[in-house]
Amino acid sequence: MVDAAKITRLLAKVVGPERVSDKDFDLIPYSRDLSPARQKLPTHVVLPQSKEEIQGILRIANQENVPVYVRAGGTSHWDAYLAQEPGIMLDMSRMNRILYINERDLVVTIQPNCTWAKLDRELRKHGLTYLCSEAGGPAMTVGGSVMKAGAGPHSTAKFGCHGDQDVITLEMVLPNGDIVQTGSAAWPSAGKFERQCLGPDLAGMFIGAEGILGICTELTMRIRPATDFKERLIAVMPSLDSVIEFGHFINRNVGDEYLQGIYLWVDPNAPDVFTLMMDIFGYEAEIVEHRKKKLSEEVKKLGGSLGDRGPADDYFGHILTGLTDIFATGVWHFFGAGTLRIDDIKFVYDVWRTELLQKRGYRKAGFGGQVLPRRWLAFMVTNYHEPGDWDELVRMAHEIDEIILAGPVIPYGIGGRDGLRDIVASHDTGYYRLLKTLKRTLDPKNILQRGIFIPEEELQ
Amino acid sequence: MRIKEFQDMIYACGRCNYCRGQDFNERCPEIFTQIWESSTGRGRMAIARGILEGKLDYSEELGERIFGCFMCGRCREECKKAAKIDIIAITKAMRADFVDQGVKIPESGSSMVNIAVSSGNIFADSPAAHAKWAQGLQFVRGSGTLFFPGCLASHRFKEKTNILVRLLQAAGYTLDFLGDDQTCCGTPLWITGRTADAKKWAQNYLRKLKKHGVKEIITPCPSCFRAFDEEYPHLLGMEKFPIRVRHTGEVLEEIVEKKKLNFKVPINKRVTYHDPCEIGRYRGIYEPARRVIRALPGVDFVEMERNRADAFCCGGGGAVKITYEHHSNTVAEERIRDFVRSGAQVMSTVCPACEMNLTHGTYAADVQARVLDVAELMAVAAGIVDREILETDYFPED
Repeated sequence: MVDAAKITRLLAKVVGPERVSDKDFDLIPYSRDLSPARQKLPTHVVLPQSKEEIQGILRIANQENVPVYVRAGGTSHWDAYLAQEPGIMLDMSRMNRILYINERDLVVTIQPNCTWAKLDRELRKHGLTYLCSEAGGPAMTVGGSVMKAGAGPHSTAKFGCHGDQDVITLEMVLPNGDIVQTGSAAWPSAGKFERQCLGPDLAGMFIGAEGILGICTELTMRIRPATDFKERLIAVMPSLDSVIEFGHFINRNVGDEYLQGIYLWVDPNAPDVFTLMMDIFGYEAEIVEHRKKKLSEEVKKLGGSLGDRGPADDYFGHILTGLTDIFATGVWHFFGAGTLRIDDIKFVYDVWRTELLQKRGYRKAGFGGQVLPRRWLAFMVTNYHEPGDWDELVRMAHEIDEIILAGPVIPYGIGGRDGLRDIVASHDTGYYRLLKTLKRTLDPKNILQRGIFIPEEELQ
Repeated sequence: MRIKEFQDMIYACGRCNYCRGQDFNERCPEIFTQIWESSTGRGRMAIARGILEGKLDYSEELGERIFGCFMCGRCREECKKAAKIDIIAITKAMRADFVDQGVKIPESGSSMVNIAVSSGNIFADSPAAHAKWAQGLQFVRGSGTLFFPGCLASHRFKEKTNILVRLLQAAGYTLDFLGDDQTCCGTPLWITGRTADAKKWAQNYLRKLKKHGVKEIITPCPSCFRAFDEEYPHLLGMEKFPIRVRHTGEVLEEIVEKKKLNFKVPINKRVTYHDPCEIGRYRGIYEPARRVIRALPGVDFVEMERNRADAFCCGGGGAVKITYEHHSNTVAEERIRDFVRSGAQVMSTVCPACEMNLTHGTYAADVQARVLDVAELMAVAAGIVDREILETDYFPED
């Protein structure tokens, strides 16, 4: 049982009374995310401004045995920050500064709650941009994306998930309050220029861990020149086989260089129409034109046809400012999602078509996927109405998740008790056991993100 | 509960956080001042849903989050890309719920309404003070075109209002004025949740206007403009208000378009324009004032970075100037920083509330600059007033 008044007093000593609240109306906005996860209320919300304040908060949490949950832009899709137990919600909003743009080494150092949109805006003033990003609208943060190893439509066809190529160094506050730097930043007299240079890749341990091993307080990310050329294509392919062959063409025949993004969409009311939207990569007009020609030829060779690029421009052009219509009719939910080999996209598609459309008669969820270098990130996605559609959606999504993850698909986004953590735990792999060992070692009281990724009872 | 009417919208919130923006507080003036997620559009929908589901109650403490909203419509504008939630209508309903349920609202908010009801204006000035700005001006009773300055223009900007009327009259408009019969339009009532009283107020006012033979209202105040044009028909269950209502912004553009005045005196200043929320985002009117300013000789027009639908509030909206003046001043100061970054020498706008708040913002930010109505710039260019009013060392007598 959390002694709310006592914790409020203690937190106020660290951040000042103006940045801690235990009022019910201040807590309720932190009780849901973008998923259908059940409402979960924290006991406190705190807005830290520095790593030292986070250290202080973690000391209190350890001393009082109160869990701490970490929220960035608040746009997670799988119960990834909601308070699984009564505890302190860290709203990282105020740690959003761009600290240093290093144009010589092509890296940028930022605080975790800097949004992709803000970063892009500033970098473009220098003719630069970041490597890749998810799609999540203006509130989506760099720290949030990296801590979940997110992927999405912007340049991930070339650069992969967050953490594959973009992260250089991290600064993490560990659950016991220690501060650790990764990569070249671990060598204080060097600088922030390289991720893998001193022993094991500790950044990799934190990337995708959904905050259970430490709180990110600073990131150094690779950046690149911005390209002025925007060439997008839309292709309608005749079959999923042709989509798969096109995916191989991208990876093998033309390398990962050709596209910044490639997005497959299949509408539930037209399950045999496979639409591909492509964002061509290239720094020079001649190169972009050449790539466009090769891609167009391959589309035709595979029996596809090219259409008006307008929707692709709209899609890739609004990744940061907000994709219209996604939230038009209520809450958006991803399920049956994960990463898989190029050839295995058929498995996910078949589950979508037979289990969702045919057996369950649910025709509101589309099927989509992003080609990443040499693999897919595939998903089913729907808009639904709360509270009316909630029961049916949650039950159905869970059934589909179980079927999908029994196949050749690695779960994307684990989250809390309304996420995928139970499915992950049930696999009980050596990897999972090592993760639990790491968690117990770094966070013996299970303070940080308690109940996220690993059920609490698994750590007792 | 009045928010029940908006239940579908409240549940439609996909929690996408478009309303909050890219830098956590660059869009919404409430989170800019109060820092909490509960201050955002998304946070308010969570609160409203909690109330609907019986998990939260209206309380005096909650008042700062609901009555601290500037009602600038920036979140609603952003939500047009998503669930299209009318966050302003829901906020108004929440304020009305406070009143209906007898939950204490900010003291200064209730006093403002009581004062407006008892004295006829929000400043508790005597009825005779209403017309002081009009000294020396001639009006034509029964002309059908009523000039309706509203409380702020009448009581705080006597000189500006006098200049505006001289400009309109020089351009050939035959104006009537209610004189001592003029009272507040009633905006304080619905903005603080006194919806039931507002209806009565609107009924009485319409009767008075009809009796006076008013065919058209011209007002410099966006709140008064929207009161007559939007709120009255809504309160009175009318499709359309039976009297034509025009904001001066539209009339000023008409003067330029129809060449009703000759603009010869050069302004010789770099000028920017602040979009009042109730004219811009509420009504989608962004260009007329800009076209007017650009038509004046010697104007070097520059935009502030946040403009049109993205404009940051002046801090004067939603009655926050009255209920939480420190928040209001903080926002005004931020808007003045936008002005400074633009490199402009004159801040112009078409709203007395914005003019007052932005002027206070210049004091708070310790910036020497004039905040002028677009009509004042026109009056200088038309030779109706001396160009000294453009200078930072000029202090109006009022």
